[in-house]
Amino acid sequence: MSAQNEVKWDGKVFPYVPSEPLQIDPGIRLHSDVAEQLDPISFEVIRYAMWNINVEQGNTLLRISGSPIAAYGHDFNPCLLDESGDFVFFGPFLQYLSSASGSAVKWTLEYRSGNPGISDGDIFLTNDPWVGAIHQADVCIYAPLFWEGELFCWFANTLHQWDLGGTTPGAFNPISQDVFWEAGCIPPIKIVEQGLLRKDLEEEYIRRSRMPDLVALDLRAQITACNVARERMQQLIEKYGPEVVKGVMKKLQDNSEISFVKRLETIPDGTWAEESWVELAREGDRSVYRNVVRLTKKGDRLIFDNEGTAPQIGSINCAAIAWKGAIASMISAQMLFDQMFVIEGAYRHMEFRPTPGTLTCAKFPAGVVSAPPTVLLQTIGLAGLVISRMLYCSTDEVLQKEVQSCMGTLCFPIDAIAGIDQRGNGYASFLLDPVGGALGALSWKDGVNTGGWPWDLQSTMPNVEDNEIFYPLLYLWRKEIPNSGGAGKFRGGNAAEIAYVVNDSDAITHYTTGGHTIIPGPSLFGGDPTSRTRYLLIKNAGVHEAAAQSGKMPEGLEELGGEHLNVSPKTGGIVQESGDIFALAWTSAAGFGDPLEREPRRVVQDIESAYISPDWAMQRNGVCLDENGALDAEKTDALRMSMVQARLSSAASPGHTHHTIAESPGDIRVSEGLVISRSAEGAFYTCTKCRTRIQNTEGNYKSGCMKRITDVRDVGLSPIDPKLFIDDDIEYREYFCPGCGVLFQGDFNRPDDPDFQDICLASVADADQANQ
Amino acid sequence: MKYFCGVDTGGTFTDCAVIDETGKITIAKRPSTPKDYSEGLFNALEACAERMGIDLESLLENTEHLFLGTTVGTNALVQMKGAKTGMITTRGHRDNLAIMRSAGRSAGLPVEKLLHVSRHQKPPPLIPRRLIHEVSERVDWKGAVFLDLNEAEAEQAIRSLVEEDAEAIGICLLWSIVNPEHEKKLKAMVKRLAPDTFVSCSHELIAKRGEYERAVGTAINCFIGPTMREYVQKIEQRASSHGYTKPILMLQVTGGVVPSREVIQTPLFTIGSGPAAGVTGSSFLSNAMGYTNTIVTDMGGTSFEAGIIYDGKPLTASETIINQYVFSMPRLDVESIGSGGGSILWVDEISGTLKVGPESAGADPGPACYGKGNCPTITDANLILGYLNPDNFLGGKMHLNLDKSIEAIRPLADKLGMEVDELAAGAARIAEAKMAELIRQMTLQRGLDPRDFVIFAYGGAGPTHACEYARELGISRIVVPLGTISSAWSAFGTLCADILHVYEKSDLLSQPFDLEHINQTFSELESKGRKQLEEDGVSADQMVFQRLVEVKYRMQIHQLPVPVPAGRLNEDDLEQLVKRFEEIYESFYGVGSAYREAGIEIGLFKINAIGEMVKPSIPEQAPVHDIPVPGQRKVYWRQRGERVDTPIFEGQSLGPGHAIPGPAVVEYPETTIVIQPFAQAVVDTSGNIIIDLEGAKS
Repeated sequence: MSAQNEVKWDGKVFPYVPSEPLQIDPGIRLHSDVAEQLDPISFEVIRYAMWNINVEQGNTLLRISGSPIAAYGHDFNPCLLDESGDFVFFGPFLQYLSSASGSAVKWTLEYRSGNPGISDGDIFLTNDPWVGAIHQADVCIYAPLFWEGELFCWFANTLHQWDLGGTTPGAFNPISQDVFWEAGCIPPIKIVEQGLLRKDLEEEYIRRSRMPDLVALDLRAQITACNVARERMQQLIEKYGPEVVKGVMKKLQDNSEISFVKRLETIPDGTWAEESWVELAREGDRSVYRNVVRLTKKGDRLIFDNEGTAPQIGSINCAAIAWKGAIASMISAQMLFDQMFVIEGAYRHMEFRPTPGTLTCAKFPAGVVSAPPTVLLQTIGLAGLVISRMLYCSTDEVLQKEVQSCMGTLCFPIDAIAGIDQRGNGYASFLLDPVGGALGALSWKDGVNTGGWPWDLQSTMPNVEDNEIFYPLLYLWRKEIPNSGGAGKFRGGNAAEIAYVVNDSDAITHYTTGGHTIIPGPSLFGGDPTSRTRYLLIKNAGVHEAAAQSGKMPEGLEELGGEHLNVSPKTGGIVQESGDIFALAWTSAAGFGDPLEREPRRVVQDIESAYISPDWAMQRNGVCLDENGALDAEKTDALRMSMVQARLSSAASPGHTHHTIAESPGDIRVSEGLVISRSAEGAFYTCTKCRTRIQNTEGNYKSGCMKRITDVRDVGLSPIDPKLFIDDDIEYREYFCPGCGVLFQGDFNRPDDPDFQDICLASVADADQANQ
Repeated sequence: MKYFCGVDTGGTFTDCAVIDETGKITIAKRPSTPKDYSEGLFNALEACAERMGIDLESLLENTEHLFLGTTVGTNALVQMKGAKTGMITTRGHRDNLAIMRSAGRSAGLPVEKLLHVSRHQKPPPLIPRRLIHEVSERVDWKGAVFLDLNEAEAEQAIRSLVEEDAEAIGICLLWSIVNPEHEKKLKAMVKRLAPDTFVSCSHELIAKRGEYERAVGTAINCFIGPTMREYVQKIEQRASSHGYTKPILMLQVTGGVVPSREVIQTPLFTIGSGPAAGVTGSSFLSNAMGYTNTIVTDMGGTSFEAGIIYDGKPLTASETIINQYVFSMPRLDVESIGSGGGSILWVDEISGTLKVGPESAGADPGPACYGKGNCPTITDANLILGYLNPDNFLGGKMHLNLDKSIEAIRPLADKLGMEVDELAAGAARIAEAKMAELIRQMTLQRGLDPRDFVIFAYGGAGPTHACEYARELGISRIVVPLGTISSAWSAFGTLCADILHVYEKSDLLSQPFDLEHINQTFSELESKGRKQLEEDGVSADQMVFQRLVEVKYRMQIHQLPVPVPAGRLNEDDLEQLVKRFEEIYESFYGVGSAYREAGIEIGLFKINAIGEMVKPSIPEQAPVHDIPVPGQRKVYWRQRGERVDTPIFEGQSLGPGHAIPGPAVVEYPETTIVIQPFAQAVVDTSGNIIIDLEGAKS
């Protein structure tokens, strides 16, 4: 990390990191006076009013923009920041945008306060991912509020734009080599100067777009939203006085911090990590790239790093601001769920130490425009998992309930479509159906089928009828995919699939940007991994003819004729003609815990609800039904026993055959299958089920496990031949207890990769030993 | 003597209001009877008749119109006690109701619960998956048939639903709003194969694009259909056995009424109609009083509800969320927050601040002062402050236990280092701030300034808090409508309703607009409306048609309603329409937000077909000169920070001309009006309590 000290974190080549303290032109005075006394009643009244000001900012944006991506994808968020760009309220929409708004404001304070200056009535714009955006399509508009000559606070909102230029239409670019192929970066400009929208800058801004009118309309939406919020905040300050209002802001931040630190106190120090694989950097590429998120908890600090992450490549990279936002979004949902979006308390205790030049800390001019559907979303999933691993160790039962497996739609499979619509107008858009992802399994209940994302709290799939009237499509189906949710002690939510033909147009051109078509998303504590993304083009499927002949609509891919072509997750233009079908399935959520540990009655319910099939129940959960469809307990016991036997006989042993049984049951929670037990010989990771000592806590618990290796194509639903898209070999490694055969963890790796260390609690054991 | 009877069946009470030819209003209240709601209804009518000194027969035989508002359907839905329902849908789209557009996991959650993703869950299914059958058929976006209805599959689907003992069958196919032929055919088949089964088609209920919301609406209509059919038939029979043989006019969520035989087919439109009656009554009365802009507020035990009357007309909305299910139907826009008398007070330990709600103590255990539990609530705060009279609650039928209230609130006060009085006043202030915030959002979102409005306040607790939320909003006048009548305001409200049918048609027209198509569409919708009103027995001179289109910029989703003139439209009218849209747009979103270059589209046509009804006339009462001698108790006034000896008036003793300076309290059996020190009240000649606030913008 020493290299970081030699570089400049100014948002040019390296992502912006705010100076401490911020270097602001002395011409600007920040308002920082805080009322000494705040009565608890006024606090609550002002807090509520302030929250609503931000809500109103968001609602205004949503109503005016009203573009499908705002209305359905909720790809926007409003926020209220204090004078120096720290959060007061973030909005209840897309959570990963938080890092961008704060960063944009702070950068502007540091680099624009002298020239052109920051004045009352000004509004700034940026889409620069190294300064204050997730990718170039996310345009951040932000406005200062001055009170009696002092900069009092900021309003900011970010909204995804359909198209801001670049070498392919839309907001992503599957052929990009670097940032110059993509929509251009705009470092902060003063688009509104003391109340006046600058015509020259507006035209400069919208000129780059293939859809300039929409961009102009959205610009107005964003500016109006800031203005509405600013006006109401002025009224609030007039009513209660600046010191009182500022006092409430600071107290909100402090309260959130107190809550966060209290929660940290219930968690032992340790390190947790998670990795996954990004497929293909661009069209024509045939490699996979490792993405790692590691979390070290030390006292009241959470330190995140990305060591082991692949070097930057293609257009899938995150500048570090996006990476921070991805992590913060899951911290917010899992650890600040009761703090009403006051995320500042957590930011004060989070450190980000990414290695520059990597997928998640790209240096300019790496391509970054395709990060959100690929590396960014995957990072959110990984962040959720490292946080879950950490929270599992908490002594607080409330936090233990936040442990969750990998979410669905881990990569957003962009199906960008372009052509001439049924009214004869050109269009370029992408289908928002995959926002209906699936929620992960929790440590105490199943995930929600097609339940959306944990970081986008209200995402809404468009109706089929909406898509069919906007675009020249006709859906054959949109349905949940049985068996797709990862099996486990608790089941991950099922995902869904759509299939459509061209209607009232000659053809549709598709551009794909996605991932997890070959390698599923990660599993947690032995639960099955997520399902896969599937892009499928069926040439000459003959739907029209078959329907006319049989009078039946097709029900599934199996019954369709024609040539089935798996479409690569990075395609810069393939054509679907009349008579062809395009089908898209997105990834489900993963399971939690060993599937053989699932209560059989739950499996029976799953079958009754058609969430899984009876065959799948036998194959994954070892559960058998009798001829009446009821649980056959005897057969189930026998099948489960034989499956455990098969695990132990097919897996490689850890090298020692003698199993030591721990004297005490152990009292430090590690994972669903492991605790730490201690004896005179030291501290050991120990199986919760049979008390077999697995490994000294100094080492990786996986080296004390039975290990079974399976080819990736033998894992999960509807696998495809990996060689279709990638050259790397990928295997699935399962780590079992050598004593009882319970499954602790499953990982995807290349054959030469060492066993990935996802838990390190050495220091806990040490500290505990010392206490004893 | 002729009478007009209005009855409102609520979850707890059934209220009745009868107005006679002279304008005299009589009200009565009886407990609702969930086992058979019709019983409570006739009990309330009988009680009213008794008060009027006549018997039930004399009342009903001489009744011109019987109006009825009911929550029977809503209750069946909320408690998930409905019919065993099956559904038939387009092949490939069975999971529509289960997927819930994904948003079902959090739709309608209060924002406090939104970030707690681990607790998100979809609600239990309205229809289990095995009772949803797919049939081969397909219509596209423009109504063209891609594949004819496969009748063999259809018959099989219906037969298996019958075998499963489905009591109701919903039919919801893609694009039935554009081409309903397949749905109609299916309905005819159900009628043939299962004549006793309740059946409804999605296109008959909802005309808007969006198969999810249509499926939800259809499923709910079926789910409550048989229950409502039984209920309506029962009251029709009983009414006719007591001598009332005309149609019963039932309140809809639109604020209008329709004859009960239509409700049997479309009970969906009674869902959420409870608050609509209050808005309808307020709309009538505020127009009669000469107010064009009114904010209508109703605060009860669990929630605070607000509606807006602007330029003489109640504002409408189209989306309803219930049990996390979303459906679209035209309705009066009444929004609510969980701020009622039962809202629980608690201290957030980390911030050391007082919170109010959103959890409620409900009716059981209820506020601590009910004596059944120890939840500190807003009602307890009101009792401590001296606003409420422990011996005169619900007209003395229930005693409130002040000691219990103090016992429940003291620990909170101790935690925050406050006196009990201070804490109670603070709790009221927070609740009032939340109510004001809801109204602020509802008005500002539409570019309206709350200061241009008067407030109508009713419901058990509305008049108790109205002075404060009005002041918070800078509103200078509050009306407690018709004094004591306000406690049966929804029953009175039904009497003010017109017959109303709303017809909509989803479309997507871009500029330049096809004039012929637009004229054609309105003419179709209006002839539909005319035909229906004729069936309802409305004469031509009582028919009124209002037209609207919903307009947006190209690629926007949200549309704004724009009024359209009657008659054949010409190019000039269209130009005016575009201009009007941009004016409305800018009044909502600010000058400079319009951007014509983006292109303008029409997304929806809508007409209101109205059959105007005779409205109650409220007679003027002669002024009363003797001011009654008030009682007295010590009431804590926040503004003064202390308890003050305060005059307490009995509401029924007040009459026109009486003026009451604040601070004062006026007690009615079911509600308490708190007149703050900065306010003063007068009784007008109709018996309304008019409260004016000092220092607010006039």
